[in-house]
Amino acid sequence: MSEITPSSGLEAAFLAHRETLLRFLRARGAGEAAEDILHEVWLRVSTRESGPVAAPLAYLHSVANSLMIDRYRSQQKAQAREREWSAAQTLTGEASPQPSAEREVFAVREAARVLAMLDSLGARVARVFRLHRVDGVTQKDVAREVGISLSTVEGDLRKAYRALEEWKRHGEGDEP
Amino acid sequence: MPIDETIRAQALDWAVRTQDPGFEDWETFTSWLEQSPAHGEAYDATCAAAQDGADLLARDTPANDTEPAIASPDEAEGNGAWVDDTLKSYARVPRRRWLAGALAASVALVAGIGLWHENGPATYEVATAAGETRTLRLGGETTVTLGGDTRLAMEQGNARFVRLEQGQALFSVRHDPDAPFEVAVGEERLRDIGTVFDVRHVDGALRVAVSEGEVEVNPEHEKVRVKPGQILSRAAGENRFELAAIAPERVGEWRAGRLTFVDAPLGDVASDLTRATGIAFSVRPEARGRTVSGALQIEPIRKDPQSLGTLLGLGVAREGAGWSLGPR
Repeated sequence: MSEITPSSGLEAAFLAHRETLLRFLRARGAGEAAEDILHEVWLRVSTRESGPVAAPLAYLHSVANSLMIDRYRSQQKAQAREREWSAAQTLTGEASPQPSAEREVFAVREAARVLAMLDSLGARVARVFRLHRVDGVTQKDVAREVGISLSTVEGDLRKAYRALEEWKRHGEGDEP
Repeated sequence: MPIDETIRAQALDWAVRTQDPGFEDWETFTSWLEQSPAHGEAYDATCAAAQDGADLLARDTPANDTEPAIASPDEAEGNGAWVDDTLKSYARVPRRRWLAGALAASVALVAGIGLWHENGPATYEVATAAGETRTLRLGGETTVTLGGDTRLAMEQGNARFVRLEQGQALFSVRHDPDAPFEVAVGEERLRDIGTVFDVRHVDGALRVAVSEGEVEVNPEHEKVRVKPGQILSRAAGENRFELAAIAPERVGEWRAGRLTFVDAPLGDVASDLTRATGIAFSVRPEARGRTVSGALQIEPIRKDPQSLGTLLGLGVAREGAGWSLGPR
């Protein structure tokens, strides 16, 4: 990639901090895929068309970090599908290896359940979570909008994340 | 498996801090990760759970679904219950509507048709641009609705054979045991057994979904039967068919200006949206492996492509004349 001329601050930062980013990706558990993922970060940066980024190095880290989260999530999904499949193989009779049409309806009910669970942590927690994670409002702006301190926003998010983590761990999708 | 509570609490804290765009202390975070692989695992579990929760909420808030879809007045009644509502209302979708549409469209049919001769019968082609749909009447009570960016080839004098060159089409076929209706898609043949079915042929991948009747795939070879509420798919370049379930009312719902995605790869979502809206959507490389779920009305997205961000929990950015989808 020696011909590449840094055309923006972001690209320059990428080239200057390659090693830092690689170290981050390895610490993040990327292993041998670190170089490949870094290349994806590069693609993202070099095809980006929106305006300048205030903190290029932080931005690059957060792109790399999202890639790792997405990777983890797709691995998890693949594993879940495998489990479903083998469960369906063992349970002869009623179980079907194919996702049923009900499953789709079920996903919507699952959403309602998550919503209820967040609500049970307090209306504010649910609101903060939604503002930040669904509407993409920064934590600082959430604090301003809801009229609470930044550390209260962080506390609310911790509560919500913990509850969601419990929900995942105890098997989302299990009927009570 | 037990997880260390201290690590868990730390991971939770990092998850909250690092997911804010204002976060800058990546160096300390890296050092924490380097202390133990268990740190990264706990962090991933928390971030994934938070994102899954956010995705579900985004899906539940439907979103831009404020206007009822065509022929389903029940849908306007409220969020949360929309799936059940569509389930009920689909049975009542009046077939007449399709035919009325077909009559109107068949008048305009003459435009956009190419005519050529190959070895064999004269063939003509009907095509739509991205963002356009068109319904054709193929004699009797058989109609086909073309989605956006779709090409159909037909033989002159043979209303019972269609080749779907590319794109997506919804077929409503009046069954005739003496003259089976056939759709060719690449090397595949689909034969109707009294049917309403939707065929999607994009970038070499094939999907056939059936809402009424039955379709037989490759009647000379595999003879796979696709029944109502089933969707058959074959990935590009693959020989294997997969049969899965689909809510029957979802079959051809794009005809009513609606799209539903369930764990759909972002690439498929972008291509479906492009064909439906006429606006170019692409996927940023870092989001390639990502899947999303959600139900969308097409028209509001045509007006405001950025609204997709909230609906599907994605980042939507300008890219040339179109829009690119990626993580927030």
